[in-house]
Amino acid sequence: VANAAGAAPGGHRNGFWGFLSAPGVAWLIALFVVPFYAVAAVAFGRVDPILRTADPVWSPLEWNFSAMSHVLDRVFDPDDLGAAFIRTFAYVGGALALCCLVGYPVAYYVARYASRWRGVLLAALVLPFWISYLMRMLAWVNLLQVDGYINRVLGWLHLGGSRQWLNGSWPAVVIGLAYGYIPFFILPLYAALERLDKRLIEAGRDLGGSPARVFRRVTLPLSVPGLIAASVITVLPMFGDYYTNGFLTSGSPRTEMIGNQIEFYLRGTSQPQTGASLVLILSAMLLVLMTYYLVVTVRAQRSVAT
Amino acid sequence: LDSRFTRRQVIGGSTRLGLALAAGLPLLQACGDDDSGPSSAAGGPDSRRDTTTIADGLSPEAGPLRIFDYDAYVAPDIVAAFEEKYGVKVEITIFTSDDEAISKLASGAVETDLHKSAGTSTLFKLIESGLIQPLNKTYLTNIGNVVASLRDPYYDKGGAYSVPYTVFGTGIGFRADKVDPASVSWETLWNTEYKGAASILDDVREGLSMAMMRKGLTDVNTGDPAVIKQAGEDLSELTNLMNIKVEIEGYHTIPEGVTTVAHTWSGDMLGALQYLPEGTSSDVLGYWLPDPALVNNDVMCVMTKAKNPVLAHLFIDFLIDKTNAVTNFQFVGYQPAIDGVDGQSLIDQGLVPENLRSCVLSSDQIGKGYRSLQLTPDVEALWNEAWSKFTAGG
Repeated sequence: VANAAGAAPGGHRNGFWGFLSAPGVAWLIALFVVPFYAVAAVAFGRVDPILRTADPVWSPLEWNFSAMSHVLDRVFDPDDLGAAFIRTFAYVGGALALCCLVGYPVAYYVARYASRWRGVLLAALVLPFWISYLMRMLAWVNLLQVDGYINRVLGWLHLGGSRQWLNGSWPAVVIGLAYGYIPFFILPLYAALERLDKRLIEAGRDLGGSPARVFRRVTLPLSVPGLIAASVITVLPMFGDYYTNGFLTSGSPRTEMIGNQIEFYLRGTSQPQTGASLVLILSAMLLVLMTYYLVVTVRAQRSVAT
Repeated sequence: LDSRFTRRQVIGGSTRLGLALAAGLPLLQACGDDDSGPSSAAGGPDSRRDTTTIADGLSPEAGPLRIFDYDAYVAPDIVAAFEEKYGVKVEITIFTSDDEAISKLASGAVETDLHKSAGTSTLFKLIESGLIQPLNKTYLTNIGNVVASLRDPYYDKGGAYSVPYTVFGTGIGFRADKVDPASVSWETLWNTEYKGAASILDDVREGLSMAMMRKGLTDVNTGDPAVIKQAGEDLSELTNLMNIKVEIEGYHTIPEGVTTVAHTWSGDMLGALQYLPEGTSSDVLGYWLPDPALVNNDVMCVMTKAKNPVLAHLFIDFLIDKTNAVTNFQFVGYQPAIDGVDGQSLIDQGLVPENLRSCVLSSDQIGKGYRSLQLTPDVEALWNEAWSKFTAGG
């Protein structure tokens, strides 16, 4: 009787929570599944014979894969689109490394030592979102000009103050990407570090570990899931970025990213299938990263459970 | 200044998008056959073109007249004068590219009376999809002011559906205080003396055509894969040789001294005067236009579903009045396609400095200029791929 009595409310609760998740599921279907399928319908579809705009084909039975096949050949050619893919991965990797170097200490400090200043510091971290991305990038253009503040500081330090940062220079793009997206990195990492079980760190200290050793053997391994989550959230928009390099290097082919090629084919030509194919290929590559993230997360949860 | 900045940016974008998008219409001819314009290809199986003009002698509607246009691409004084003359309101809706304009007009997202600034390559889509109506020229009393070479243009036989608005050529803008004007040619963009201070237009057709013209080729609509590929490779050479920029910002980077030589549109160099630092003479600016040059123009057309078609006709007529055209030029900076509004007349009126005379095209230059025609889908794909390889920096 007790089991039966307990089962009914439990089942009721499951139905209730299931009902609450409906808006989220509908949101996901409407704004992710359907658009993603639409991209596939464009990639494997036709173009209007007069207007030359995309004419999506919704039935997979009628899909034409010739555009995708040709794009794949070009993606694996390092003298063609492959160059933009390689460059994109390198820039995103560099920007992520910069985010780790700058963002981890910030998130760690706010989570562990900020105490009553925590709210203020968190507000300060969100502050960049109050200013448009465009304005922030234009500010960097001023900072990185030949006679800008960066070069002035380098000049004062006798580190060479005449560097042409905006002249097709990759460091400008990496710095711009890191600056633009670092709030996405710090906030989830902060949330993960804030939840760390402090007793484990104290145990490490009690067992004679130096602060550095405890950080390396306890804190850092425990923050890996948070680091991976922050990295995934940060790099996903970076991979699709096509305006940061445009602002900071004046459209130099030396710094072209794959997002620029997607924009070119989708907005600047009557070959939307090529642009949509590039979107699908990039998504497939990012799916690998997402899968890795999910595997690591599940493993971490299992290790906590055991 | 801000309005000019915006307008120039969208013109750059629109030309890039328009030329590329319109390329590939199945009914069109490629390979430089100047007689094979869109209108000559009319009546294909997919054509939905409208062939009925409005009746003669109709009174202007009560308005408001709805205009679809780029931002700041018509002088506010001209709009106000039209409103006063006809006692109507004018409402302008903005688009930022030919692509966006076509998309919004085709989907019905925007309903308008007058599409004031269509690209010549976009025009064919507008005609064949039935979005615009043929013009009744009894309402266009100033049509005789249009330069002779554009009264029967290749893109619209007899000017049946459109009236030219502005016209511009493509050449090289440069700093006359750093470059010998007599030495400027396409080869200047490959001159390592200007490494890091050179740019080419972010435009498939303009960029590859320039590389072809540098080699002495005149067919800027070629479908020859070898020629297209070679032009792409020649541009790729610029990536490391010149650290070239691909942009449409020459109108302000040249006067600011950031760029020394830039592949630019003629109208942009006239606009560059507005961006000279205070105290800097306009003598530092120079412009070289090849002869013949690649020439383009924007056109005005009336929508098939216009609620105020008479007012739309009258507004077109108002803009091609010679006095109004010059007033409008002072605001938009791009040369009107009006007979007699040439380099000498604008210099005489103090609107163009002598050293930028080459920015104003003569009727002869407009007539004999090379034109980017619409390409078949297969040929357009070759052009796009060559450009894509270049910009990808492989």
